[in-house]
Amino acid sequence: MSQTFPSPSTALVEPAARASGLTKTYGKGETRVTALDAVSVEFARGRFTAVMGPSGSGKSTLMHCMAGLDPVTSGSARIGGVELSDLNDRQLTRLRREKVGFVFQGFNLLPALTALENITLPLRLAGRRPDPAWLDTVVATVGLAGRLAHRPTQLSGGQQQRVAVARALVSRPEIVFADEPTGNLDSRSGAEVLGFLRDSVRELGQTVVMVTHDPVAAAHADRVVFLADGRLVDELHEPTSGAVLDRMLAFEARGRTS
Amino acid sequence: MLRTALRNVLAHKARLIMTVLAVGLGVAFISGSLVFADSTTAAYRASMAKNYAGVAVTVDPKSPPGAPANGRTNVLDDALVAELAAVPGVSAARPTADGSATLAAKNGSPMRADNTMGKLAAAYVPGADGKDSRFPLTSGRAPRTDGEIALDRGTASAGKYALGDIVTLATDGPVLRMRLVGIVSTKDTRVTSGGTLAVFDKATAQKLFAAPGRYTGIDLSAEPGTDQFELARRVSALLPADRAEATTATAKAGRQSVFIDTKTSSYSRLPMVFAVVSLFIGSFLIINTFTMLITRRSREIALLRAIGATRRQVVGSVLAEAALVGLVASALGFVLGLGVATALPSVLGTADDLLPRGPLVIGPAPVLASLAVGVGVTVLAAWLPSRRAAGIAPVEAMRAAEQAPSAALSRIRGAVGAAVLVLGAGLLFSLSDAKDASDENLRTALFGCGILVTGLILLAPLLAGPVIRLLGRLTARSGVAGDLAKDNALRDPRRTAATAVALMISTALVSGLAVIDHSSSRALDSQAAAGLSADYVIGTRNTTTAIDAAAVQRVAAVPGVATASAVADSTISAGAFAREVSGVDPKTVGDVMKLRFTSGSAKDIGPGRIAVSSSFARENRVSTGGQIKASIGPGRGDRAQPYTVVGIYQDNPTAHDVLAHRGDVQQHSFLRDSLQRVLVATDHGAASPALEKRLRAAVDGSPLLTVQDRAQLVREQAGVAGDLAGMVFGLLAVGVIIAALGMVNTLAMSVSERTREIGVLRAIGMDRTGIRRMIRVESLVVAAYGTLLGLAVGLFGAWKVSGLANGAIPQYAFSLPWGTLALVVVLSLAAGAAAAALPARRAAALSPLRAVADA
Repeated sequence: MSQTFPSPSTALVEPAARASGLTKTYGKGETRVTALDAVSVEFARGRFTAVMGPSGSGKSTLMHCMAGLDPVTSGSARIGGVELSDLNDRQLTRLRREKVGFVFQGFNLLPALTALENITLPLRLAGRRPDPAWLDTVVATVGLAGRLAHRPTQLSGGQQQRVAVARALVSRPEIVFADEPTGNLDSRSGAEVLGFLRDSVRELGQTVVMVTHDPVAAAHADRVVFLADGRLVDELHEPTSGAVLDRMLAFEARGRTS
Repeated sequence: MLRTALRNVLAHKARLIMTVLAVGLGVAFISGSLVFADSTTAAYRASMAKNYAGVAVTVDPKSPPGAPANGRTNVLDDALVAELAAVPGVSAARPTADGSATLAAKNGSPMRADNTMGKLAAAYVPGADGKDSRFPLTSGRAPRTDGEIALDRGTASAGKYALGDIVTLATDGPVLRMRLVGIVSTKDTRVTSGGTLAVFDKATAQKLFAAPGRYTGIDLSAEPGTDQFELARRVSALLPADRAEATTATAKAGRQSVFIDTKTSSYSRLPMVFAVVSLFIGSFLIINTFTMLITRRSREIALLRAIGATRRQVVGSVLAEAALVGLVASALGFVLGLGVATALPSVLGTADDLLPRGPLVIGPAPVLASLAVGVGVTVLAAWLPSRRAAGIAPVEAMRAAEQAPSAALSRIRGAVGAAVLVLGAGLLFSLSDAKDASDENLRTALFGCGILVTGLILLAPLLAGPVIRLLGRLTARSGVAGDLAKDNALRDPRRTAATAVALMISTALVSGLAVIDHSSSRALDSQAAAGLSADYVIGTRNTTTAIDAAAVQRVAAVPGVATASAVADSTISAGAFAREVSGVDPKTVGDVMKLRFTSGSAKDIGPGRIAVSSSFARENRVSTGGQIKASIGPGRGDRAQPYTVVGIYQDNPTAHDVLAHRGDVQQHSFLRDSLQRVLVATDHGAASPALEKRLRAAVDGSPLLTVQDRAQLVREQAGVAGDLAGMVFGLLAVGVIIAALGMVNTLAMSVSERTREIGVLRAIGMDRTGIRRMIRVESLVVAAYGTLLGLAVGLFGAWKVSGLANGAIPQYAFSLPWGTLALVVVLSLAAGAAAAALPARRAAALSPLRAVADA
C-alpha cells in the first residue's frame, strides 16, 4: 500500500470517510442548482451506512463527491484522512484504485472479461498480484466459486452483482460505495447481495456506504442517514424497514406541507 | 419512413461523417478524373488545335498518290494566295509556313524535349501594314534573315533568353543558331497552354517547312454572310485537284477533335483505378457503419416492428438513410473532385512531359456520375445491413443484450470462405506451369487474386480470433490496457474484420504491385544495358527526328572514340507481326553490341541478308540459311521481299529483333535515309565526362539528340517503371486514408458504445493514460491484423504472378522490396495509431461518473 495515505493504525480514530460543509452546486446564475448544501457527515470504519432520501435529495451526488468521482464546490471530502480536493486526476484515480470500491446499480462488468478477470481487474490496474487467500475469501463470501470462468452475459443479474461486490472488495479498499446495488435485481437476489455487503462488514471488517431509496435495503445497514433537498436531515441507528419507511413518509409529508 | 430516415441521419451525424468522407473520397476520384479528363481534353484541344476562329476555309498541299510528301509538289505560292484572295466571298487570304522546332534553353537543356506537340514554329508574314496580325510584336523587331528569330514572351522567359541572345534550335535535322531579335505575343492556344513558339522570317520558314517560295497552308477568311461550304467549293474549283485541297474550318475542327479524343482518353484511366479502389474499400466502411448503427438501434427497430412496421418498411428506411448519406457524400465528393482535377495535371505530368494547362471544364457527366456512384455504392453497401435490420424480431425490443451471430452461420461462412480461398490459390498455382504473360494467363492471375481476396474477406472474421490472440501476446506487454484492447478487438470479430479488411485490400494491392514493380524494374535495369558493349548511345528524342550523317562523321572523329556505329531503326513485318529491325553496319556492329550468335555471324549481314533473334526465328520458323518474306518500314506487307537469314543471335534488347543491312533499312524507313542511333565505343578507359561533352559538341548540341552513357540508359529505363511505383504509393495513400477513416469510425463507435465500461474502468482506477493506451492498442491490433492479411495475400499473389513475368522479361527475378514493404507496414500501423487519436482522447475525457449516472 502507498505511504501517502494514513496507516491503518490511525483507523480507530479517523472515520473511513468524512464530509464537512460539503457543498455541490451545478450551473451558474439563474440555473444554479444546489445539490448538496453544507453537508457534514462521517462514515465510521467497519460500519454499513445507508444514505436515503427521495429522488433529487442529493444522495447520489453525496456519494459521487465522497468517492472522488465528482469534484466538490466547497467544503471538504476526505477518505481515510486524505482531502480529495487536493488531488489531481491521476492521484484521484489512484485513490479510487487503492482505497475505494464501487458497486453500481447496473453491475457494470466488462463483458469481454470472465467473472474472475472482472474481480481481479482493480488489482491488475494497480499492477498488483491478487493475494490468493484473500481472493478465496472474497469469492467464498459472495458465493461465486463455481462461476469464475463465466462471462457476465452467462450470469444472472444477481450473480453479476455478486461479481461486482467481489470486485469492490478484492483490493481491500478503505471504503465501498454502493449505488442502488439492488435497483436492478429481484427481491431475492437483492436480499442476497445486501447479505453479502453486510457480511463483508461483519466478517471482513469492511466499510460500506450504500445509496438507496428502498427502505428494505436500508434496513440491512447499521445506520441510515437521511438527505432531503441537499441537507442531512436525520439519521437512524440499527434501523428496521418499518422505521425507515416511517421516517421517509414523514419527510415526504413535511416536504409536501412546507 | 422517409422522415424516420431523415431523423436518423440527423441524429447520427457524427457516426456518419466518416462514411460520408469515405464515400466522398471515392466519388472525388471519379468526378475528379472525369473533370480532369474533360479539362485535359479541352486543354489538349487548345494545345493541339489550330485556332480556326476567323478562318472559314483552309487550303492544304496534297501529295499526288505515290509521290513522297516534299516541297517539289507544293503549289501553294504567292500567286495562288493572290488568286484565292480575289475569290468572291473571301475577305482575306493568309499564307502560313508552320512546322515544329525544338528549342534549347539558354543553358543548353532542351525545352519540351520529349513532347512531340506544342513546339510550334511559324513564319512571320507581314500584312499590308508591314506587321503580322497573327504575331503582334511586343518588343524588338521581326526576323528578317535566316539568322534571326522571334520568340513569344512565355518561351523566351522559360528559356531565359533576352533580345540579342543566340538561340539554339533544331527542326528535324541540323542544329540552327539564330539571334533573338523580337518578342511577339500570340493567342494561339497551342502556345498559351504551355508550348513554345519560334517565329522565323518568311523565307526561312518556307525553306524549313515547305520549299522556297511555297507555303504549308493558306487560311481564308470569309466575308460576312458567306457559307463555308459554298466558299470551299468555289476555292476547290481553282485548285489543282491532286496538289491541294480546300477544307472548311468546321470539318477540320471536327477531324481534329476525334484525333484529340483518342489521344486523351487514356489520361482518365489512372484516376479511375483510384476511384474503383477507394470505393471498393469504402464500401466496407459503409457496410460496417450501417451494421453498427443498426445494432445500436436494434431495440428501436424492434420497437418499430412491434408497433406494426413491416420488414419492407424497415429495409426501406435503412436504404433511404443510406441514399441520403450517399447524396451528401456525392456532393462533398464532387467538390473534392474539383480539387483532385486541379491537382492531377501536376501529379500525372512529369517534368519533361507537361500536360497542357487550361481552366477546369465541368460538364454534366461528372455531376451525374458522382451522384449515381455515391448514392449507388452507399445504398448497395447498406443493403446487407438492412437485411439484418429486417431480421430483427419485434420481441428483441424487450431483450437487453445483443446476440452473437449464430455459430452455424459462422461455420457456413468459414466453409465458403475456405473453399473460395482454396479456389483462388489453386488458380494461381495452376499458373506455375505457364511460361508467358499472355492475356489469358494474366486474366487468370488477376481473377485468382480477386478470388483469393474474396476468400480472405469471408474468412477475416474467423481468422480474427486466432490472429489477434497471437498479436495479443505482444500487446499484453502494455499491461492490462493492452489485454483489454485485445479483448475489445475480439469482442465483435465481424466488425474488427470489416475494419481490417479495408486495410487488407490496400496493403495487398500495394505490396503486390510493389513487389512486381521492384522485380521488374530490376529486370529492366539489367536489360537496359544488356547486349550493349558501346560506352555511349547517341539517340533521338522523338521518332520524327534523325541524326544526320555528317554528325556521325564528326562523332567518329572525336579523340577517344574507337568506333561510332550508326544504326537505322525501323519496323519489319513478317507474317502477322511487326517487329523491330536495326539497320547496322556489319563491319562495326560487333564492336558496339554484345551479340551471341548460335549460328552464322554478323559479318554475313548485307543487302538482302539479315540476322534474326532466336525468338524471332522461333516465331517465324526460320533457321540460318533459310529465307523469309518480310517488309521493312511503315506499311503492311505489300512490299514484302525475300531476305536470307545468315545468322541467329540470342535475344538482345540493343539489337532488337532483327539485324539488317543499314542500307536496306534506310531505304524504306519512315524518314528516308535517316539514322536513329549512334553506338559509340571508346578507346579503352576513355569514357569520361569530358568525352561526353565532346560528343555533345560533335552533334552540335542539338536539343533533339541525347548522349547517354550506360548508367543513364539504365536510369531512363527505371523511369518507365517508376510510373508504376508512383501509382503504388498513390494507391497506398488512398487505401490507408480510407482505412484510417474506417478505423476512426469503428473506434469512435465502440468508444461511445462502451461509454459506461470506460466510466467503470475510470471509477475503479484506470487513469486517462491507460484508457488512451487501451484504445490506441485496440486500433493498432486491428491495423496489424489487416496489414498481416494484406501482406500475406499481396506477396502470395505477386509471387505467383511473377512466374508469368519470367516468360516476358528474361531477366525477371522475384525479389522483395524490403524498404517499400517496411514502409507499407509502418504506414498502416501509423494509420491505426492516428485513427485512434481522436476516439482515444474522447474516451479518456469521459468522466467516471458516466458509469454511474447513465444507469
